[in-house]
Amino acid sequence: MAYFKSKSDFIKLLATFTFIMLPWLFALIYNVYYSKNDFAPKIHIQNYSTDTLTGADHTKFAELQKDFKTPQEVTEACLSCHNKRGEEFMHTEHFQWLKNDSIPGKGKLKMGKKNILNNFCIGINSNEQLCSMCHAGYGYGDKNFDFTNQNNEDCLVCHDNTGTYKKSNPCKGPNLPGAGNPSPSINLSLIAQHVGFPKKKNCVSCHAVGGGGNNVKHGDLEMALTKCTRDVDVHMASKGPNDNNMSCQKCHKTINHNIKGSLAMISGSPQNGVSCVDCHTEKPHTDNLLNDHFKQVACQTCHIPTYAKVNPTKIYWDWSSSGILKDGKPLHYEKEITGNDTICKYGDYILAKDLPNLKTRKDSSNIKLEYDAKHGTAIFANNLQPEYIWSNGYFDHQLISDKIKDTTKALKLNKPFGSYYDNIHPSDKNHPSKIIPVKIMRGKQIYDKENMSLIQPKLAGKVKGLGAYWVDFDWNASAKAGMDYLNLPYSGKYSFIETESFWPINHMVAPKEKSLSCTDCHSHNSRLSELTDFYLPGRDYSKVVDNSGVIIIILTFISVLIHMTIRIIKRKK
Amino acid sequence: MKKQTYIYRSFERFWHWSQVLLILFLMLTGFEVHSSFSLMGFENAVKWHNTAAWAFFVLIIFALFWHFVTGEWRQYIPTSKFVKEQFRYYISGIFKGAPHPTKKTRYNKLNPLQRLIYLGLNLLVIPVQALTGFIYMYYFYPSNPLHETGMETFAIIHTIGAFLLITFVIAHVYLTTTGDGIFTSLKAMLTGWEVVDVDEKEDHLKHMQDAVDKSVAGYYCLDKNGIFTDVNSAWLKMFGYNNKEEVIGKHYSIAREEKDLKKLDDLVSKVLSGEKIIGVPVIRKKKDGSLGRHILSSNPIFENGEIVGLEGFVLDISDTEDNSLHMYDAVRHSEAGYYWLDINGYFKDVNNAWLSLYKYDSKDEIIGKHYSCSRDEKGIKDLDDVFNRVTKNGETISSRIAIRKCKDGTIGKHLLSANPIYKKDKIIGMEGFILNLPEE
Repeated sequence: MAYFKSKSDFIKLLATFTFIMLPWLFALIYNVYYSKNDFAPKIHIQNYSTDTLTGADHTKFAELQKDFKTPQEVTEACLSCHNKRGEEFMHTEHFQWLKNDSIPGKGKLKMGKKNILNNFCIGINSNEQLCSMCHAGYGYGDKNFDFTNQNNEDCLVCHDNTGTYKKSNPCKGPNLPGAGNPSPSINLSLIAQHVGFPKKKNCVSCHAVGGGGNNVKHGDLEMALTKCTRDVDVHMASKGPNDNNMSCQKCHKTINHNIKGSLAMISGSPQNGVSCVDCHTEKPHTDNLLNDHFKQVACQTCHIPTYAKVNPTKIYWDWSSSGILKDGKPLHYEKEITGNDTICKYGDYILAKDLPNLKTRKDSSNIKLEYDAKHGTAIFANNLQPEYIWSNGYFDHQLISDKIKDTTKALKLNKPFGSYYDNIHPSDKNHPSKIIPVKIMRGKQIYDKENMSLIQPKLAGKVKGLGAYWVDFDWNASAKAGMDYLNLPYSGKYSFIETESFWPINHMVAPKEKSLSCTDCHSHNSRLSELTDFYLPGRDYSKVVDNSGVIIIILTFISVLIHMTIRIIKRKK
Repeated sequence: MKKQTYIYRSFERFWHWSQVLLILFLMLTGFEVHSSFSLMGFENAVKWHNTAAWAFFVLIIFALFWHFVTGEWRQYIPTSKFVKEQFRYYISGIFKGAPHPTKKTRYNKLNPLQRLIYLGLNLLVIPVQALTGFIYMYYFYPSNPLHETGMETFAIIHTIGAFLLITFVIAHVYLTTTGDGIFTSLKAMLTGWEVVDVDEKEDHLKHMQDAVDKSVAGYYCLDKNGIFTDVNSAWLKMFGYNNKEEVIGKHYSIAREEKDLKKLDDLVSKVLSGEKIIGVPVIRKKKDGSLGRHILSSNPIFENGEIVGLEGFVLDISDTEDNSLHMYDAVRHSEAGYYWLDINGYFKDVNNAWLSLYKYDSKDEIIGKHYSCSRDEKGIKDLDDVFNRVTKNGETISSRIAIRKCKDGTIGKHLLSANPIYKKDKIIGMEGFILNLPEE
């Protein structure tokens, strides 16, 4: 080797290149070492405790040793000992179906199930007989219900530990007790003697069946959570030996019957909410790169990759197609569909048209169209990929008194506030905007074409001729009955408007290995493709820059090749 | 003149190749983050991109420090001279086998185009990449005022920079093949050595400076007022001083006993009036007051035609006292001749005094010849011995009496000093001075 004039020269050269390679070697060793020692981080939990006290044995209490004739008697017996709890419970949302709230731009108002319209069964007014099957009270059959009578509180629906308590549906069958009352078949004394802290089953008996069936409404909240695997929900899982089997109250902490938790559909501002960081810290990952995401991305976004994991949820509800009677009988029809269907026919009947090309259909399975003369067209699906929005916890609401301004676009019933910019300069410092996963419920519902307002229709009823749509199949009568009930004007001219409602996905947290990976968002095929108000590395790029960049590289290559070719040719000459 | 030269220092090569690896690695991970392809996974790509960015940052700091401390940053000062010629060379001259329009030397490693491009790279692309990259890295925090303008701007600038770097790398790698040979430049960047043009004047000057610094002959330099402005280490050793600072700034009177001072005063004033002193034996006073004998030569220093000081050499003769009388006469009639032999014993350089002592007319007659031509048969063995001792053992030899054979075959007698020449830690030759001893 002509370049190495001596041994020391060679050693020096070797040393130089060893120095160059040394940092790379370190990095490699470090990487191999750390990837081999996958330090399964201990999940750091704060403010989390398990109860050590066992409840009192209510079978021993003399007050409960009797044959209760009415549920109110049971409540009276409860309150004879728990004498402060009646007053306490009376003011909760579970009883009032209203709470003090505020909407940015609309100010303070009382909000709740009682006055907010959705795009499932629209609203409770004039339908209380049916809806109060989920009211924690007895007799809430119409607007004249006495919300101040403590004996009307239903203690048992939440505190029954036997699992036998059941409310009756007064719209079905004759001679059933009134709204919100328990089914005659249950044993009140037995249940009264076996009360305790609410179990999952108590909560889901109402919260999972909103919208008319299991998992119809929320998509992430359903019966299966009472007994599920970690893949469905890491917190509530109970099937495995090491599963957490957490009760609802572990997160929805309850003090004096005030149960933590709020729902976007009936809330204007974030209050009394449950948050992951109540127990997990704000820096739960060992990797700071992931922790940095906390400021802009809600935990749920990555950790709930899909919802409706067990039973399907309803994602579309078109009321406008309802009312088809075949041979005088309400038509019922079910069909598996694909993501590309836009129209569904049954014989000559058009059951659904303009089916939305829902983005969520891409990943979902078991998509089913269900037609029912009472309800119109619905689409159910499993394993849905959430849609993603910026949210600062505030939601606007289309109140029944609000005018509809634009009928060409889907009307957002609870329009989320928030944007990328709000995450930088939050309007509320405690609630900067984050990207959250939501189920967007789409549908078509009735509205007043002349007054340009939403309509509260009367749906449920037992008797013909009173306007109940499910009995009479007459939208005009139904709208009139519902609006008259609320003392609100109805022009007599109705139509159907596309609406959307937003349901943040908070349950069905997946095991960490199933949570989203970087490229679910940081790629051209990003889950966040709808959120275009910011630059997302890996997703966004400048087409001009990228194309010109590639062209310049190619040109450079070509120039080099031409130059080289000429050199070679000339040299040979 | 072209010569094998050490043009890229160890650090420079460390810097260059580390930068190569880092840029390639950043490119790979960066474009994965850009979703151009999938290789190690997005998460790993981001992590390694960030880590490599920090490594690059550290390297930049080191490189900046090195360039400023060594003054090598001057290599990047752009010049408009020969830019056109260089460009023309690449688009036409190179095909015709025309010579490079600019000379590559140790002190001018980069051609004008390289200067421009590398300066642009070092001043524009890399800092902009680093800046936008670090902004990008720390963009998460809402308190960051840069949020107002949006991350997109920085991300896109960063992307543009990345594309520019790719084109640079392609062109750069290709242009390394346009050196004297296809792999010459690559080899040079690997080993540090390349055959490049040598600025003869500069090289000679540097060598003479080295010769003086390392000579066994003591060198001194006085200003007009007789104050020391420079001495070499041999001088310090002869006079028993430890370092220059003890001497510089002092008057020459420190070097003599009082009784000898008058003689030196006369000598200095002679030289300052333009005379050359060729060789006088004198008695010096060392730092500790002890005495020693040496032969002194001296000549005036001119600056713009005016005498501004004097300088000269001193050769120790304390050990050769017997000959001192001879020497007095001898050196009086002589000048110090300088010679330089390469490792094989061939002349590389001599000075005019040497030429006149050996009766040559010009350097060209002697350079490239073996030293054996400077001795008669008897003397060769003696010189072989000196040469071997100096070049093999690294000894220095001073004040040895030698018989020279001149060009015309006549002989002469001189005092010889010899010391090895080092390049790094390797002996590459021998050099020294000779002082004439006239025949009695």
